[in-house]
Amino acid sequence: MPRGARRRTAWAALLSLTASLLVACGSGSDAGGDLTAEPVTLRFTWWGGDDRHKRTQQVIELFQKKHQNITIKGEFKEWNGYWDSLATTMAANDAPDVMQMDELYIASYAERGALLDLNEAKKHLDTGDFDQKALATGAIDGKQYGLPVGLGMYSIMVNLDLLAQYGIPVPDDTKWSWDDLKRIGEQVSKAGGGQVFGVQSPGINDTAGLSIRARQQGQAMFDAEGKVVLPQEIARDYWQYIADLAKSGIAAPPSVTVEKASAGLNQSATATRTAAFGLWWNTQLTALTAASGAKLKLLRLPGETQGKAPGAYYKPSMFWSVSSRSKHPAEAAAFVSFLANDEEAAKILLTERGVPANQKIRDAIAGQLKETDKAAKEYLDTVPVSDPPRITPNGASTVDAILKRHTEDVLFGRTTPDAAAASFIKEVQAEVDAAK
Amino acid sequence: MSALDELRRLRHDGAQVRKRDNKAAFWFLAPWFAGLLLVTIGPVLASFGLGFTKYNLIQPPRFIGLDNFARIFTDERLHNALRVTFTYVLVSVPLQLACALGVALLLDRGLRGLAVYRSAFYLPSLLGSSVAIAVLWTQVFGTDGLVNRVLAFFGVEGRGWISDPDTALSTLIVLNVWTFGSPMIIFLAGLRQIPAVYYEAAAIDGASWRSRFWHITLPLLSPILFFNLVLQIIHAFQSFTQAFVVSGGTGGPSDSTMFYTLYLYQQGFGRFDMGYASALAWFLLLIIAAFTAINFWAAKYWVFYDD
Repeated sequence: MPRGARRRTAWAALLSLTASLLVACGSGSDAGGDLTAEPVTLRFTWWGGDDRHKRTQQVIELFQKKHQNITIKGEFKEWNGYWDSLATTMAANDAPDVMQMDELYIASYAERGALLDLNEAKKHLDTGDFDQKALATGAIDGKQYGLPVGLGMYSIMVNLDLLAQYGIPVPDDTKWSWDDLKRIGEQVSKAGGGQVFGVQSPGINDTAGLSIRARQQGQAMFDAEGKVVLPQEIARDYWQYIADLAKSGIAAPPSVTVEKASAGLNQSATATRTAAFGLWWNTQLTALTAASGAKLKLLRLPGETQGKAPGAYYKPSMFWSVSSRSKHPAEAAAFVSFLANDEEAAKILLTERGVPANQKIRDAIAGQLKETDKAAKEYLDTVPVSDPPRITPNGASTVDAILKRHTEDVLFGRTTPDAAAASFIKEVQAEVDAAK
Repeated sequence: MSALDELRRLRHDGAQVRKRDNKAAFWFLAPWFAGLLLVTIGPVLASFGLGFTKYNLIQPPRFIGLDNFARIFTDERLHNALRVTFTYVLVSVPLQLACALGVALLLDRGLRGLAVYRSAFYLPSLLGSSVAIAVLWTQVFGTDGLVNRVLAFFGVEGRGWISDPDTALSTLIVLNVWTFGSPMIIFLAGLRQIPAVYYEAAAIDGASWRSRFWHITLPLLSPILFFNLVLQIIHAFQSFTQAFVVSGGTGGPSDSTMFYTLYLYQQGFGRFDMGYASALAWFLLLIIAAFTAINFWAAKYWVFYDD
């Protein structure tokens, strides 16, 4: 054996040894088996704010009362730290049994074999009350890697107080276009005299704005195989639109926009009443109403009737997933079922994780909802949608970060919308390829 | 028994006692050695191995030879990260050392309440790379921050210092310069070592303050300066927290605060590419080693040892 090859074999042997050690510790009990009566501890992790932590803890206590032998250890974090620590615990074969999972990451984890196919745990996990379209958002190749928790839809949130103050009528959102948004935004900016802007620049934090525009043209970001199929013109027009908003003063100056984007919901232009229109999740109405103290209303997305199809879709706010290496998959599934199907639990959680994707639960809590939650639910129930886009493919978890960087490059004039479009598509495709 | 035998016996006993003592010492040191092996050397070797693999943290690593190292030369975002990092190191370290030396010279002149000043200047060094200070920095340099309010008072219109790619890196450089306390303390100690007789002699000869500084202080302080230079350059190359917090972990806006270590971190934990991240870590080691070697080579020409 030549020396190089021998060395390579030695490395391979060392690495496969570590790998087999990792796998060996992982084999657990059967997901379809009976629940054990032995004492069991499950680890459960989620991201979110204080309110969510309190409510989730209450639900955990409720579950433990009903299953005396099961202890649930909650681990909660902020969004950023959450993904870093999940990645490291996965690597250390120390992943929590039950995880809150996001659309951006679910394929990346599932296709690397880190998540349990929940169909295997059907015995303990009932999904009968879920809309099929919603369930499909957590499935890849027929395997259910995540159970959608809540549903959300993109909307334009408008500050009615500001429009009333400037004497500008609320636009008819059943047929308005992106140009209408620009035009009305300009009126607001003029009336606002540099203090209040028409539109909070979209597209800084996530790909929703771009994805919606593609969908309205009958296009998509990714095809079924996970290849990037976004046409370059659509991306170019999208960045041109954002650049126009900034240049014409309809949106705040670039550095303000960038600063607000990273400062969180309470510092956003909508929350600080410095922009009349903003692209938000319908379920954020409650939080933004509280933060702004203004009267906010959910409007349909612009351009929904001019294009080929509605861009709007149901997006699962998050999923419940179970680790494929969990030693107690049956118990973990039972806990997920409790979170998703139990009415008592639902009455504690309400819409904190979005309007419940479980239709029966959605009706069960209807009477308890606040006015803003009711408006969010009504939006979800009435606004036309088309099929959900393909789940973000394995490797493309960084797509939001790539989009953000390109948007910044365009806003600060470091590149043209056309060049940004070409480079964005190339880069996202490279990420998908690299993960294979 | 002869005296010689007696001496041999004594010597033998002594050796036994020493052996026992050593054994005890090794036992007491064992936890430290275990820590060194498990927490330092183990991971370092593992990362070297992982540098030759594709490893996504979940599936077993796959050997891919030198691909990760080859990618270093074609990765444009990495080249940008290198530019950012070199700018940061080459601008902030000299400025920081100049401030440290300047303040050390002032404090050396037996001021009243010296201890208070020393602590005050040293404080930022203790806090400088903490998350809290980085958060504070985003407030101070924000659009509605302190800096802009002061500027507004003088009628100058400010900007979003941290959210504008033209100025974001500069604010991080200012942050690093501001933490000049630890090299300053070392300078102060060095200044105290310079014998007063040299200055007395120079004063008698009528040397000006400036020429005393150039011909006595600086040469005698050069070993200390060298020490600080090497240390701070290594330190600056490894900067991470400030950029991570100020940019929300993105290295933005427009990758303008993308430090090498931040990029490495993003590759490992953001893109699940631990193989490439490991290769990057070893490449950084090479860069730092090269800089340190150059420093030591150049030291021959300007560092002056008194003894």
